Amino acid sequence: MDVTRKLAVLADAAKYDASCASSGAPRRGSRGKAGLGNSNGTGICHSYTPDGRCVSLLKILLTNFCLYDCQYCVNRRSSDVPRARFTPEEVARLTLDFYERNYVSGLFLSSGIIRSPDYTMEQLVRVARLLREEHGFRGYIHLKTIPEADPALIDQAARFADRLSVNIELPSERGLRDLAPEKQLGGIRRAMGTIHAGTEADQADKSRSPKRPRYAPGGQSTQMIVGADASSDRLILDTADQLYRRFRLKRVYYSAFSPIPNSPGTVPLRPPPLLREHRLYQADFLLRGYGFQPAELLADNEQLPLDIDPKLAWALRHRDLFPLDLNRAPRELIGRVPGIGLRSAERLVDLRRHRRVRFEDLVRLRCVVAKARPFVVTADHRPRDAGLDSGALRRQLVDAPVQASLWD
Amino acid sequence: MRILSDALTFDAWRDQARALLRQGAAPETVSWEAPDRPSLFGLSPPPDAGEGPAPRVPAALVAALRQAAPYRVAGRWNLLYRVLWRGAHGERQAHLPGDRDGSALQRRIKAVRREAHHLHAFLRFQPVADDDPQRPLDLLAWFEPAHDILPWASEHFADRLGRRRWLIATPLDGVWYDGEHSHYHAPCPESWRALAREARRQDDPLWRTYYRSLFNPARLNPTAMQGHMPARFRAHTPEGRDIPGLVADARRGARRHGQAAAVGALPGKALRAPKSPDAPPPPGALK
Ligand code: SF4
Repeated sequence: MDVTRKLAVLADAAKYDASCASSGAPRRGSRGKAGLGNSNGTGICHSYTPDGRCVSLLKILLTNFCLYDCQYCVNRRSSDVPRARFTPEEVARLTLDFYERNYVSGLFLSSGIIRSPDYTMEQLVRVARLLREEHGFRGYIHLKTIPEADPALIDQAARFADRLSVNIELPSERGLRDLAPEKQLGGIRRAMGTIHAGTEADQADKSRSPKRPRYAPGGQSTQMIVGADASSDRLILDTADQLYRRFRLKRVYYSAFSPIPNSPGTVPLRPPPLLREHRLYQADFLLRGYGFQPAELLADNEQLPLDIDPKLAWALRHRDLFPLDLNRAPRELIGRVPGIGLRSAERLVDLRRHRRVRFEDLVRLRCVVAKARPFVVTADHRPRDAGLDSGALRRQLVDAPVQASLWD
Repeated sequence: MRILSDALTFDAWRDQARALLRQGAAPETVSWEAPDRPSLFGLSPPPDAGEGPAPRVPAALVAALRQAAPYRVAGRWNLLYRVLWRGAHGERQAHLPGDRDGSALQRRIKAVRREAHHLHAFLRFQPVADDDPQRPLDLLAWFEPAHDILPWASEHFADRLGRRRWLIATPLDGVWYDGEHSHYHAPCPESWRALAREARRQDDPLWRTYYRSLFNPARLNPTAMQGHMPARFRAHTPEGRDIPGLVADARRGARRHGQAAAVGALPGKALRAPKSPDAPPPPGALK
């Protein structure tokens, strides 16, 4: 099979992994040096596919032969898909070629499980070593970690890769047992623990030579598939919150289950609404950046509302805190106002050291004023709808445009 | 009214502006305009440097002016001078987003940064096939930036590409990196432009294969794509020509699942289950 055909198969097989971040790598460059590649911590999207997703890395599988039979996965062994396998050299050459042409900022390599978890992990490490050591490649490398692989192999991978990820796939032991019988939550958490411990030890190691590559400097991430089993948003967000706390994950990605050809009867034939994935990302953002707890976002519900964003839903449940006087309130609370982000909250606090905040400042800072209006007081504004009950206010603020743009 | 030519680098403009400040020339009395569109008054000579201490302004304000300067707009220096004037007269907020002029200035800075980011993201290099000693070059690109970002924003590629030699041509200027140093020219030499235009016409089937396979038709959302990647850049990428077809196919029903059409057309292969988790896999799985 020629490389073009392999690429068609192995990129198709890899696209269900939502992560494409190329951020968090240490600053490095190649100016005047042999080799190729730089990074400055922030990622670059070099293109966008018509599904609106960023193309930042060459995202492929080393092979889509797989011993496992995860029901939601197009590469499960019982799936009737074309199979292909790259050699490590082919992957290295493709990466360098795409990198040089400025199509991508690096490689995100994953693999089906062949022969054994250790063997598969060794192959992934080999590609990364080849790129770093033979080709002097300083671009981004993200390696998928095979949970059951020897921790020593994971540690090796961490010295070549910027980011490692172990996919948790489903938030419950039960879901995994039903849909991914060869995988165990215990093994997945152990691998995350290995990476976490390696990172901590590396950071604590004061005698580390500056030449020695850092341990997975871009951190670790994971992915949860949404809508392949019956897990609720509550379970998903509680799990994400635990993972952030326990293993200091950089990111949890949520991937709406995407129906696959010849879908087995164990998984749904239809995808969940993409809007559900979107709401989970919004909620996740509030967990990471705004100090929200999952319980605050969900109250008594199992699911996040689809028609309004989670911050607005929270604010509608806490009308006693609003309207909030932007000239007095602490920054953290301003960040909790619907339509006002953390950066804007900071800007407003800066601004009010010099003068009183006016409503047009929100416009200038590009806040979502329609959402913020009923919740804020400024020098020249007091909401007329402050007296509206939450139900009426909610009807007024329903997210129709967002929904429309997500669908087409 | 004093009319000055706006064809200036930032440093040259700053010298003029400093001289004007010393002379106490208020912003309403000065205007920088394009020399090819002579106004009613005709161009004035550049101001004398003058004597005396330079007026003091916050360093952050000058830095903001420098960042906003590449923004291409008729009369670009007039806003900068007004901000500078106000800053020199005690309005230390004149360059910040809370201020009316400051917010206009910050919008320019943002647009300039975004355009530099566009260069880093959407420029495409074409490898130069022949090894012509007359043409010490490995990679070629054509790009059409909306602002004057090339001289500094192109430095990114020297960090990125090691000792590779590359050339970027634009409608206005061009830069060539010889493996050690960059050489910037404005206007762009015609020979560079011709080379780069040729490179632009080249195709890349391998990349287009990747792009087509990466797209998930079950998640079609062209609006989001258009929002992120303006059409003026898509037109210059090899994958740009695949987009209409991918969108149309997805709308026609390929949306049921995520697989790329070309992959679905290949023969498939289900694998046998291993006997026990530790047993060797079926031979087919290893090839
Ligand atoms: S291990 Fe499971 S999820 Fe991974 S490729 Fe194999 S079948 Fe797919």
